[in-house]
Formats: sequence, C-alpha cells, structure tokens
Amino acid sequence: MSTDTRPAAPRQGSPAASRSGGGPARRRARLGNPLAGLGSLVWLVIVVVPLYTLVSASLMRQDQALNGEPLAIPTDPTLDNYRTVLDSGFLSLLGNTAIVAVVTVALVLVLSVPVAYVAVRTRSRLSSLAFRTFLLGVAIPAQAVIVPLYLLIGKMGLYDTLWAIILPTAAFSMPVAVLVLSGTMRDVSEEMYEAMSLDGATPLRMLWQLVVPLSKAGISTVAIFSALQAWNGFLFPLILTQSEENRVLTLGLFNFMTQFGVNIPAVLAAIVLSVVPIFLVYLVARRALINGLMGVGGK
Amino acid sequence: MRSGIFSQGTRTTRWAATAAAMAMTGLLAGCGSGDGGSDGGTLTAYVYGDDAVKVQQAAVDSFNKTSDVKIKLVPVPGTDYVNKLRSAMGSPNAPDIFYNWGAGSIKPYVDAGQVADLTSAVNDDATLKDGFIPSIMTAGGLDGKIYGVPMRGMQPVMLFYNKSLFAQHKLEPPTTWEDLQKAITTFKDAGITPFALGGAEKWPELMWMEYLLDRIGGPEVFRKIQDGDTDGWGDPAVLKTAQTVKELIDDGAFGKNFNSVDYASGAAPTLLSKGKAAMHLMGSWEYSTQLGKAPEFAEKDLGWTTFPTVAGGVGDAANIVGNPTNYWSVNSRTKHKDAAIEFLKAMASETYAQDLVDNGDVPTTSNAASMLSGSPNPQFATDQYQMVEKAPSFTLSWDQALESKYATPLLTEISKLFAGKTSPEQFVEAMKAAK
Amino acid sequence: MSDHTPAAKTRGDRKAAVGNVGRPPVGWAVPGIVFFVVFAIVPLGIAVYLSFCDWDGLNSPTMTGLDNWTRLFKDSEFGQAAWLSLLLTTISWVFQTPVALLLGVWAAGRQRSRAVLSAIFFIPLLLSTTAIAMLFRALLDPNFGVIKSIGPWIGVDPNVMGSSTGALLVVAFVGGWQFMPFHTLIYQGGARQIPDVLYQAAAIDGAGMVRQFFHITLPQLRHTMTTSSVLMIVGSLTYFDTVLIMTRGGPGTDTTILPYLMYRTGFQTYDLGYAAAIATALVIVATGISLLMVRLTGFGSMRSTREGM
Repeated sequence: MSTDTRPAAPRQGSPAASRSGGGPARRRARLGNPLAGLGSLVWLVIVVVPLYTLVSASLMRQDQALNGEPLAIPTDPTLDNYRTVLDSGFLSLLGNTAIVAVVTVALVLVLSVPVAYVAVRTRSRLSSLAFRTFLLGVAIPAQAVIVPLYLLIGKMGLYDTLWAIILPTAAFSMPVAVLVLSGTMRDVSEEMYEAMSLDGATPLRMLWQLVVPLSKAGISTVAIFSALQAWNGFLFPLILTQSEENRVLTLGLFNFMTQFGVNIPAVLAAIVLSVVPIFLVYLVARRALINGLMGVGGK
Repeated sequence: MRSGIFSQGTRTTRWAATAAAMAMTGLLAGCGSGDGGSDGGTLTAYVYGDDAVKVQQAAVDSFNKTSDVKIKLVPVPGTDYVNKLRSAMGSPNAPDIFYNWGAGSIKPYVDAGQVADLTSAVNDDATLKDGFIPSIMTAGGLDGKIYGVPMRGMQPVMLFYNKSLFAQHKLEPPTTWEDLQKAITTFKDAGITPFALGGAEKWPELMWMEYLLDRIGGPEVFRKIQDGDTDGWGDPAVLKTAQTVKELIDDGAFGKNFNSVDYASGAAPTLLSKGKAAMHLMGSWEYSTQLGKAPEFAEKDLGWTTFPTVAGGVGDAANIVGNPTNYWSVNSRTKHKDAAIEFLKAMASETYAQDLVDNGDVPTTSNAASMLSGSPNPQFATDQYQMVEKAPSFTLSWDQALESKYATPLLTEISKLFAGKTSPEQFVEAMKAAK
Repeated sequence: MSDHTPAAKTRGDRKAAVGNVGRPPVGWAVPGIVFFVVFAIVPLGIAVYLSFCDWDGLNSPTMTGLDNWTRLFKDSEFGQAAWLSLLLTTISWVFQTPVALLLGVWAAGRQRSRAVLSAIFFIPLLLSTTAIAMLFRALLDPNFGVIKSIGPWIGVDPNVMGSSTGALLVVAFVGGWQFMPFHTLIYQGGARQIPDVLYQAAAIDGAGMVRQFFHITLPQLRHTMTTSSVLMIVGSLTYFDTVLIMTRGGPGTDTTILPYLMYRTGFQTYDLGYAAAIATALVIVATGISLLMVRLTGFGSMRSTREGM
C-alpha cells in the first residue's frame, strides 16, 4: 500500500493500482510558473475591489455613498447603517437561517448516506435506477417545480413554516449529495469489507464503522454543500413562507431593499452583516470547508 | 457498543428502514399545524410591505381591541407583493383582506369569483359612501361595481425639477412642448441631462408613455384599451406616442446611459438632486425619497409641476396619470365578511386619515383637505391634493390597469422600444398582437 | 500514460468483486428515495402535466393537449431565450474553466502565500447570490458606481449594463465571480490527487513546465473537469437570481434567458401552463447535456471516480 498519507484507509481498490504518490509535504510546487502567479494577482484585484467597496460604502452616510467616488476611503465612517439593520430584526433572520441550515444538513446526510451506500454496494436494478434518478435530479432547476411545490406544501399544511424551506432545499441537495457520497464510498476497498465480514459484521456495522469513517471527506463535502444551498436559498423561502417569524436571511436582505427604500449604505451593511456569521465559521473551519468543497471534484 | 445494538442482521435493518420512513411521515404530519388562514376568528390581511405599514398596523391594533374577530396583518415585501398574492389566492392560504391597485390588478380574482362585491355594502353605508373622493372610489372598480375601499395616499405622477438649475439657465418649468424643447436644448448645451430616467427598471419608462399618450390622444385612447380592446393599440395616437419617445431618446433628452440607470438604488433621484439632471418624471413618492436622501435639496431646490402639453395633442393639460390610491378588497370566501367590512370602515375615519397625513401621505378621504396643513410638507401635500381634485381624468398606471397577462408583455415591449431594439411601428404591431 | 495499465486492471478486478460482502438491504435507500421523489420528482411530474394545460393559477387547469408545445416551437421569444441561455452557458464555461483550472492548479501548491490568497479567493462563495447581485448592481451604476471611475482605464464603457452584449457579459462575469472559488477548489482538489511520480518521470524525460501541464496535469484532471463542467453548465442553464436582481431580463429582452423567461411567463404573466412547458424543456436540455457529458467521459458509471486517472 506504499506511502499513502492515510495508511488505515487505502483509497485504491486493488494493490495493483497502488501508486507511489508522495505525501503532501513532499509534493513539490508544480506549475509554479510566473504566469499563473500573475494571473492570480489579477484575480485578487477582481475579487478584492468589489469587497472593499462593499465594506467602505456600508460605513458611509447616505449622501456620501452616492457622490460618485466609490473607491474613496470613507472620510467620516459611521456605524449607523449597521445599527439600523440590527434594529430591524436582523438577529431573528440569522436564527432562522441557522435552523434551516442545520436541519437541512442533518436531513440530507441521514437520507443520502444510506442511498449512496446501497447504490455502491448492491447491483440490483432498483439501486441502479435510483442512482440514475438522482443523477437526473442534478439538472432540475428549482424554478421549474416551484408551483407544484407550493401546492404540495400547502396540502401538507406546512406553508409558512421553516419546514417549507427545509424539505425542498434538502431534496434538491440530495442529487449532488448522493453523487459525491457514492464517489467517496467507491474508494473503500473490497478488502476492508472482506476483513470486516470475517469478523461477522452486519451491513449496518460496516456502514457505521467502516464506510462512514472512511467517507468523512465526502460527508463534510455534502454537509458544506447543503449548508451553502440552505444559506443561499432564495426562491423557496420567497414563495413558501410569508410571516416575519419565519423569514430567513436572503429574503430579509431583499426586504431591507424595500424597507430602506433607496438607502444603499444600509442595504450594503445588511449584506456585510449577512456574511459575518458564515465568515466566522469560515475562519474557524477553513480547512474543513475548503477540503470539503474540494471533494466535490470527486475525491 | 454500536455493534451491540445493531447486530441482529437483516431483520433489524429492515425495521430500521421502516422506522426511518415512518419517522419521516411523522415529521411531516407532526408539523402540519401551519398557518391555516382564516380559522378561529382571525382575518389575514396582506399588505404591501413598506414604510407605510405602520399606519395600517395602528388601524389593525385599534380594531382588534374592540372586535371579537381579530385581524392579522401580513406585510409582504414590496417587490414580491403581486406574485405572492397571486400564489396565495390560488391556494387554501388565501388572505381574507388584501391590498391592491384596483381595476386590472384584481380582474383575474374578480373573474374567478374570489373578490367580494362591495357595491351595496358601500352604498348602504354613509361612512363608506361619503368618506372618499368619488372619482377615486370608482377608479378602483370594475364594470361599475365597487370591489375595494381606498386605504393609502394618492400617488399621481408629477414632473419634478431642480429649481436652482432652472434659475441658473433662466428657464421656467415647461408647460408646453415648445418650452420642453427649449429646456432640452439648453440643458444639453450645458452638459446637463434634461431628464433623469431609471431605464434599468421598466416602469419609469411606462410613465412617459402614459403621459404622452394622454396629452396626444386624450385619456379615451387608453380607456378603450383598458376595457379590453387590443385594437386600441392601433390608434394613431399610440404610434405618435412611440415616435415621440424615439425622438426624445434620439435627441438625448434622457442622456446616453439611461438604460442602466436604476431607480431603486437611488441613482435616478440622485442625478436630479446633484444637478446632473434637470427634471425627473416620477410618482409623488419622489418627494419623500428626496427628503430621505438629500433633505437640503428637497426642502430648497425641489420643484414640481404637471406634465406639459404636446404640440397638436388633444389631451387636457390638467389630466393626470399614476396610482389614484391603493385599496383593500375582501376575499369572497372569507368566513367573517361583516367583520372585514367593519374594518374597512375604519379607513374613512379621521384618525386613520390623520395617521396617513403624519406619515407624509395625502389621503383620498373627503375630509383630507383640512388636515393637510398639518402634513410634514404642507405645500407639497396641498398642491398634490388639488392637482388630483381638479383633474378631469386620472388614468391608472397601465401596468395596474391591465391584467398581468397584458401588462407584462407591455412592459417588455416598452423596454425594447426605449432600448432601441424595436421601432415605433414594431411596438404598435407587437401590442396589437398581444393576446 | 505510465499509469494506464494498472488502472484498467483495477476496473476489471472491481467488477468481479463488488458486493460479495457487506451488501446492505436495498430497503435502506427507500426513505431517501421516497423523500426525493415526493419533493422533487412528483413536483416535476406535475410540472410536466401542467405543460399540457392552460392554467392561470386561480381557476382549475384545463387540458389543451400539445398547444403549449407547438407554441413553444413557434415562439420567437423562446428561441431568443434559448439562444441567450446557450450563449451564456458557453461564455461562462469558456471564462470560468481556464481561470479555475489555472488558479486551482496553482493553488494546489503548498506555499504559504498561496494559502493566504486562496483564503481570499474563497470569500465570494460566502456571499449569497442575492447579496452579490445587489452589490454589483451598485458597482456598475454608470453615474455613481466604481465602473465610472475605473471603466475607462480597463476599456469598459460605464454604460455596460445598458448595452445588449455588455449586459450578458456582465451576468456571465458576476456568475464567474461568485462561483470561481468553488470550481477553483474542485480543480485544486483534483490537482492534489495527481501522483508526483508522474511529474518526476516527466522531468527525467526533460519535459518542461508547459509540456508537463498539457501532458500530465490536463489529462489527469479529466474527471475533475467533467464534474466541474457539468455543475457549471447546469448552473448557467438554470441561472436566475442574478438576472432577476441585476437586469430584469433587459435591456429590452437581451438577457432574458430561459429561466427568466419562465419566471416572467409564470409569475408575471401567470400563464402557468406555458411556463411549465418552458420549464420542462429546460429540464430536458439540462439533463440531456449532463447525461451526454457523463456518458462521453464515463464519469457516472458505477466506478470509482479516481479510476482511470
């Protein structure tokens, strides 16, 4: 099994396929070419300029923000805009979004892990049909089904509850979840299953003690992906909820636009505030987040 | 430990699958106590969610103090109001009372039998019958029937201008087409955009069409279209209107980049307040917008007037377009129709009108005139009230007067005309063909 | 490729071996499938059904057979929207793929400076689409936005949102700005999986950096590219929030792409039957393209995603 970084979890099925891939520490810089470096600097400017404007304009007074020099440093920074936003029930928006995100992630994982496991470990017609159904699901745009969903959610009596956001969001995160999870699970080697079966392990125990631990990367990918879906969701909350108690952040942002009329700095302050919590998560869990998203590419 | 619990083979696992399925069903059923709308002596009222909601909230609060049937006010974020209402009206979650613009905006609901006919309720009740300016009461109706009661301020479209720019260039606010041409040339030569126009949004462009058509062909041309005759778009006045728009654009009356100027972000109003544009055709809310963004300008330099006449046109220069007001309508399926009508009566009350005035609005109640001196901006409020009161005709904004199935294509076609994608002739053809 | 033979062998081995032990009961998948069917497939089915109806959302739908579909094929607006969608998708792919690929491969290096830059590159992904669209709307205001001061430097007309091609390019750019970090990470992850030994061997053969990139990095990232491309293409085909907030389909109808046309037809004109037909057509096209890509690259078959690298 050569020099894999995780000897306990050989990612390649057969010994024949073992590779002498060096550990990351030993990996030398590849394509350290000046062109790419320059390109990345250009991209840096493209990323930073809008972000800078966002923050600086949110610190300006209304009349300053539209004086035609958006790149100027605010001469007289004020936190009033932030106060305005916080006073308009921002924290409850945040709370709702957090609930939606957490429950969505939990639901997606609980439902997708078994599906992916079955898709990978069985060869029945049903499982392959299910897998293909999910594959098709990747390409269903949410707008296409919003009207039927509206009727459905209404019939279930879930209209204007947080469930009305959670359930469809989870469902629409499942295709990618199943794809990513089955991708990771396929890398669990046959030998590991055989070893466990010699110990008399049931499929459930194998799932719990072998597949899940070895699919951590995929699971965190899925968790992050579905959390972002929930965080970003606009159409479902827009159509499927109405009252203030159940309003989430994205909808709140849109609402601020109406509420504050043309007070752009306040709108920008609301945008900044909406980023703060997820930015904190990012600072704390940057590595997991980045590794998780890298996993979408099929590791 | 895990293996201890889960080691009984396939039977357990099958059980687990069933349990999971049941848990999910339970989850769904368990949360099935969502907002059921009008049950339990509650009336749901949808309202356009903006600053003015506090006035309606106050009315609801005082109503709820004495009434057995309680009202729950649901402010829907403004931009989504129309969609939201439409989706809700087709479902079991329909509101009992809902805000609307009258006329075409409620036609589909009236056609579907979802709106209570308030004609007799209004006519039999002195408070409602005499409480409002009559022309406004009828403007919201359909086929001579009353479906709504006015509940907010009037919003005529006016020509706003920058007083100091006009003084600087020794011009008077235009009353004729000739004045207008002169102003355009003068300001253009001075490097000032004659008219601010938020062309990134379609409705500010619509306002130009509405006034031009009114001044060129009189209010009857659109009245015919509103009454369901799409051939009305073939009237020569419509073509003339579209041609005039094209002339104004080619002339640079709106500047070069109006296509990417926003209203909502405050760009168009700021052009006016910063003296980069001289005039701005906009709804009466422009005043409070300016007051919020550029208070000094609003108090000192913001002027307002009516739209000028157009050479060779037959329309009366006193005619106005815009939104007469907004209305409350009642869902015909509500369980508490009497309570709902009782609530509507509060809209004619002095307290409610006073609240609107304090909020900077000009109410459409018959008792409003005397209150306007107490408005935060008495001069503007009084001018506006008189403008509406004296107007021989008040044409409702086309996008509200027409059903959405005509209004949406109309807005798209207007946007294409202003963007120079279609010629005036093509515009007319497209509108005649819209079914 | 030196790696070719062992990988092929694995495939053979695996096929024979899969599922001898640790086979879970198929029933385990039932809750997930039921859930997905209820909240995604059933609504889709209803949408397909509605595409054969005339429905205004208030009265009951009435069957009109193929009316909506024949109208679809004659409708010049649909044709334009389909073309614009195709154009947007192509532009997005052509813009995002090379940049994400280069940035991703570059960021796969372990230098500290790269980690810091990567962290900054990531930030747009934290903003919601709504926030990004609102932000760029403000930046691109021709009179008061950043574009007025820096546009002339970089050769961009400040009225870019007011011109037909400009507006479409802006929409593509904003999408790229938002999702570039995502695709960069995908490529970064892929690049880190490439065994060093390949580069060492190439270096011994005297292959330069450019040659290594084209002969090792690119072929090795084949599957990564499929994943990224499918997500990118489906994403662009279903792109909506940004258009709604930034351009409202304008100027004129120059950014009215399929999802926006569907929204306008469904939620502004309330011609829900026809909107359902547009939606169904969109699903068919998006699915078709992703299936095609998956088939061409063999990505979706029941094999490890890492095989054949």
